[in-house]
Amino acid sequence: MDDVNERIPIANPAVVLREEFDDWAIVFDPDTGQAFGLNPIGVMVWKSLDGKGSVAAIARRIREEAEGVPEDVEEHIRTFMEAAVRLGLAGYEVS
Amino acid sequence: MATPRQVDVEITTACNLRCAYCSHFTSPGDVGEDLSLETWRDFFAELGRAAVMSVTLSGGEPFVRPDLLAIIEAVCANRLRFSILTNGTCITEEGAAHIAATGRCDSIQISIDGADPFTHDAFRGRGSFGLAVEGVRILREHGLPVTVRVTVHRRNVRSLPEIARFLLEDLGLPSFSTNSASHMGLCRKNAAMIQLTPEEHSEAMDILMDLAERYEGRIDAQAGPLADGRLWSEMERARLEGLDTLPGRGYLTGCGGPYQSLAVRADGAYVPCSQLGHLVLGYIGRDDLLTVWRTHPELQRLRRRVFIPLEGLAFCRGCPYVPYCTGNCPALAYNLTGETDQPSPDACLRLFLERGGRLPRARAGVGGH
Repeated sequence: MDDVNERIPIANPAVVLREEFDDWAIVFDPDTGQAFGLNPIGVMVWKSLDGKGSVAAIARRIREEAEGVPEDVEEHIRTFMEAAVRLGLAGYEVS
Repeated sequence: MATPRQVDVEITTACNLRCAYCSHFTSPGDVGEDLSLETWRDFFAELGRAAVMSVTLSGGEPFVRPDLLAIIEAVCANRLRFSILTNGTCITEEGAAHIAATGRCDSIQISIDGADPFTHDAFRGRGSFGLAVEGVRILREHGLPVTVRVTVHRRNVRSLPEIARFLLEDLGLPSFSTNSASHMGLCRKNAAMIQLTPEEHSEAMDILMDLAERYEGRIDAQAGPLADGRLWSEMERARLEGLDTLPGRGYLTGCGGPYQSLAVRADGAYVPCSQLGHLVLGYIGRDDLLTVWRTHPELQRLRRRVFIPLEGLAFCRGCPYVPYCTGNCPALAYNLTGETDQPSPDACLRLFLERGGRLPRARAGVGGH
């Protein structure tokens, strides 16, 4: 059962996702000039930051599409999301 | 790269100055027409969709466009950062305030070639020094990242210590960069009075390498005597030590531009680089940016340049520096030889020595002669 109380942040619409041919990407914040590299799993998580889904749903999709996914993938996703929020690359909708 | 990381955009072909070594005028980029603000707006939207990260606005002189600030607004509205290349003579308080307010400006590069009007104005025009220095002051007052580019030529080569002192001590700039007038644009016509002789080039390398040491990393160069001095010292050291090669050398690896950037002329023509303005790849508004970037045969050919071994080129035959050389800039090669898949004779160490040039004095850590 997904934890419906666990909120997913929304990717900052001002931030640019530059995808490469090899499925890696760069997220670039034009306001700060900062850029961060994402591996293909990071790109999947980034594209899931819509403020609606759940960590469990993202983890399920990763397990479906990737091999060798670690047991604690949900913790990795949470760490990713926390970093994105801390860096201003994502945020939570204010109700 | 799936898309260009950055795009150089010549937003105008007009300029209020006629610098004697301007690389723009009389070059293929000197198209005599400018595009409308609306056309540029559409283009910056396309760059935004393509996830391009930044543009460099140049010309001509970008600040002569009355709608420059609207152009910058269109850049920012499409999630891009920007830099500007300018002669610095048309900068106003209002313009600087507007640019600063965007928070998206990476750099504004102003050309200053002297520590006094006599030296600077010699090739840039009377009154231009005072205006350029005032431009630097205004931009810095608004907290903008100003950089200065010094073009080294026959009239300022012996003034370089005064120029460094003026820029770094009197104006208090954190750094500046140097290059030299290249065989492009108006410089081709004025080469004899502008371009350094091998003796002057040797002198400039020594002076600039001394200054770079003295000012501890505050003077940089991607081209011109300082860059040559560093590169050639490294090549000579490798030769003396009998090294097989140096990383990335021995091929035409002097330019990585076609892998990461693209340029657009003032008439909207896509070109690989502002200095390869004759190689038209398409036109904005007519040809899709990403199709041009990913499929144009000329761009593919320029990207394959890095696989061309110098030892197979007639120009390089018998040269002891081949394993350590990059062949340098394809645009300079084109301007001097008519081909891009050649090394640039202007940056050839063997030719430089044959013409009476000498390597920089040996320095700790940078080798030398």
